[in-house]
Amino acid sequence: MAELGRAALIVSLGLALYAALAGFWAARNRRRRLADSAGNALLAALGATAVASAVLLSALVRHDFSFTYVASHTSTQLPLGYSISAFWGGQEGSLLLWLLVLTAYGAAAVLLNRRSAPDLVAWTVPVLGAIAAFFAFLLVAVASPFATQTAPAQGAGLNPSLQNPYMLAHPPLLYLGYVGLTVPFAFGMGALLARRTDERWLVATRRWTLFAWTALGVGQLLGAHWAYVEVGWGGYYAWDPVENAALMPWLAATAFLHSVMIQEKRGMLKVWNMLLVILAFGLSLFGTFLTRSGVVNSIHSFTQSSIGPWFLGFICVVVAASLALVFWRLPLLRSKTRLESLVSREATFLYNNLLLVAFCLTILWGVAFPILSELVKGESSTVGRPYYDFFLRTFGLPLLLLMGIGPLVAWRRASLRSLGRTFLWPAGVAVAVGVLLVALGAGSSSPGLIAYTFSAFVLGSIVLEFVRGTRAAGSITQLVSRNRRRYGGYVVHAAIVLLAIGIAGSSAYGSSSSRKLHPGQSMRVGSYSLVYRSLSHVRGPNDLEVRATMDVYHGRKLLGRVYPGKNSYFAEQQVSSEMAIRTDWLRAEDLDVITDQIDPNGTIYFKALVKPLVNFIWLAGVVFFFGSVITLWPDAREERRLASRYALPAEA
Amino acid sequence: MQRRGNPARLVIALSVAAVLAIFLLYTSIAGGTPSLQPSQLPGHHGTVSLGGKVVGPVTGNAHDTPLRFRLRDRSGTASVPVTYHGTVPDLFRAGREVEVDGRLVNGTFVAKPNTLLTKCPSKYGAK
Amino acid sequence: MNGALLIGAVVAVLAVVLVALPFIREPATADDRLAEPGDRGKRTLELSEQRDRALAALKELEFDHRTGKISNEDYRELLGGYRRRAASALRALE
Repeated sequence: MAELGRAALIVSLGLALYAALAGFWAARNRRRRLADSAGNALLAALGATAVASAVLLSALVRHDFSFTYVASHTSTQLPLGYSISAFWGGQEGSLLLWLLVLTAYGAAAVLLNRRSAPDLVAWTVPVLGAIAAFFAFLLVAVASPFATQTAPAQGAGLNPSLQNPYMLAHPPLLYLGYVGLTVPFAFGMGALLARRTDERWLVATRRWTLFAWTALGVGQLLGAHWAYVEVGWGGYYAWDPVENAALMPWLAATAFLHSVMIQEKRGMLKVWNMLLVILAFGLSLFGTFLTRSGVVNSIHSFTQSSIGPWFLGFICVVVAASLALVFWRLPLLRSKTRLESLVSREATFLYNNLLLVAFCLTILWGVAFPILSELVKGESSTVGRPYYDFFLRTFGLPLLLLMGIGPLVAWRRASLRSLGRTFLWPAGVAVAVGVLLVALGAGSSSPGLIAYTFSAFVLGSIVLEFVRGTRAAGSITQLVSRNRRRYGGYVVHAAIVLLAIGIAGSSAYGSSSSRKLHPGQSMRVGSYSLVYRSLSHVRGPNDLEVRATMDVYHGRKLLGRVYPGKNSYFAEQQVSSEMAIRTDWLRAEDLDVITDQIDPNGTIYFKALVKPLVNFIWLAGVVFFFGSVITLWPDAREERRLASRYALPAEA
Repeated sequence: MQRRGNPARLVIALSVAAVLAIFLLYTSIAGGTPSLQPSQLPGHHGTVSLGGKVVGPVTGNAHDTPLRFRLRDRSGTASVPVTYHGTVPDLFRAGREVEVDGRLVNGTFVAKPNTLLTKCPSKYGAK
Repeated sequence: MNGALLIGAVVAVLAVVLVALPFIREPATADDRLAEPGDRGKRTLELSEQRDRALAALKELEFDHRTGKISNEDYRELLGGYRRRAASALRALE
């Protein structure tokens, strides 16, 4: 069976190379049949990769330990779901997943666009083929999932701390996102190669980009939730390089999504858009590289790998080649439209872009700092959490404000007269909220207060948009169905505001407390009193579960009980901390209790944290998804209009 | 409609300059925390981030009594004694790779509380 | 093992067929040129995009006015320019 897998990958590599080389030749010499053939090669590559994936999947499900990969990532006792998730758990399997998703996206993009834009697709195919060939090459020659061995009796299994539903959802979502950014990149390069100056490539890829961006966003929030609930250190994001690896392309893609709107409305910023799509794709490759190569010190340990240097080389080649192409085609991208006013919607989008890219680059600098400082100083230095928090505030708060200003400002040029009218209500709400919050004690943290006030401003402007729009359109469903992109976008903005509120609340207004308690003793944290009552030991099927019973009081009133503790896993000889989370909906905060250390005599070192509004973060994820669905929803009228615009004329 | 040149370019250029300025200021003033291994410690007096493999015996519980252990180079033999107070991650044990912030004081690395981090061991298998 | 060999062979054959399909369908064809817009086509595309942009801007102006985002005075001021741009874009296409 393993030979079938290996053979399928070799076939896939051959097809990808054919798509790249024959596709290039066909596009250059305008050969229709050869171009179709190259496009078909991508479709066939999907088939071959699917076969290889099926082989690996079946081996995982059957626990066929003659496959080295299966033996190192599963065991006979591993439940089915986690055996399947081992597909993307290891390096070779995750590369195969990359290739599978890439060929799937590529095949779909080719099929959907080859009839209406054959010259564009003719150039996009070789780009996609070359990228696919790289991954196929790695799978064939450097990191094969189909290495075999004499089958051991038992496999290594999966670390118990990873056996939870997040492992099933988080990595595939991130991959859908990372790989999805390849499609706009390939089409952008295809458009440049085909010397097309129109927006056909943007029309073709808008939904892909949105989908990938949504997957990447939801995937990251899932990861944050995983960290908060399962790993249980009381936080959800540590600015770890692997976490940043997903955040950077997401920020670049956010900038890209906004700036293509400017190109669509005003025909400006064509060069900027090309650079952004290169940045987004480059960062997504870099993110894969960071996560898998072990180059940067990270808490998420992935073994030092052989693919690191290859990836780095590939990224350099891709970025250099695409920048050269942009430079070469620069005259084509020049637009005559100029920014008319620094107070216009274009301008606010431009500021938004600059802030997003700046934030993205500061994170990149922070991630690369250890490597760079090692090269320059001889020893590596890391920038700590304060670095990232500083820039999150410096760039994030203005971005938050811009989200509220943008929709209120008109295209081309906004008169101060109009601005005054539209700003009045939201600004009023914000000021009122600000004053109220200061009265409630939120002045203890200036960034927190600013975040809340800005959030009130943005929410006010979004609500106003919906109210005014509904009045004009008749009903809210009419409004949203006729202006899906705009109002879907507003819902997404609302989600980001919720995210901001959740982050501000839990980081600026939280409290924490650590104490050593004997049974019967109590500790205070925030407005709660926690009384440690008793300790219990329960044997599970493969672990020993130790739990402390703690009563939670608010003043004299007993609110409930929490059971923080630890699990000791026998087979893996590992201990995992089980943080207790008590969500108080009325007070809108989480109480987290961690047992740092449990002494044999029952004395426990507790750490308790109060995190206000942290659940807004998870709520934001739901609203974000909902908003994206609205924006992605097909619009029959727009489809028809675009189809007629780009319909090929009858003449040759 | 060519007013005063192209404001977009000016805005972009100024913003880039501003960002660069903030960057350089922050990173040069705040600096980074050096990430060192035990063999690189001698000569460093300020706060550093020390990484390496934990070498037993491990004594103490990090709360009433300081946690004491030795930290060794990842691939090497140089090691240094460490004392630590604060939260100990579950994955901590002899043989694991950890990172902790602190300073070298009279030959012992005195750690800052609650800065001990353990790398996730290889995701699979009992190691 | 034989099953795997069979599947492998089928995959390889299907791949070859798929890749060769365009040539199998049309072994000899008079017109093998890749359809592309050509200079006139590209000009038309550019003008269509300009037209769509101008029309969409006009529509948005009216919507913004109806929802109260643009005052009456501003609307009157801007309407002329937007209408002219739309008209010239439509004219250019003829």
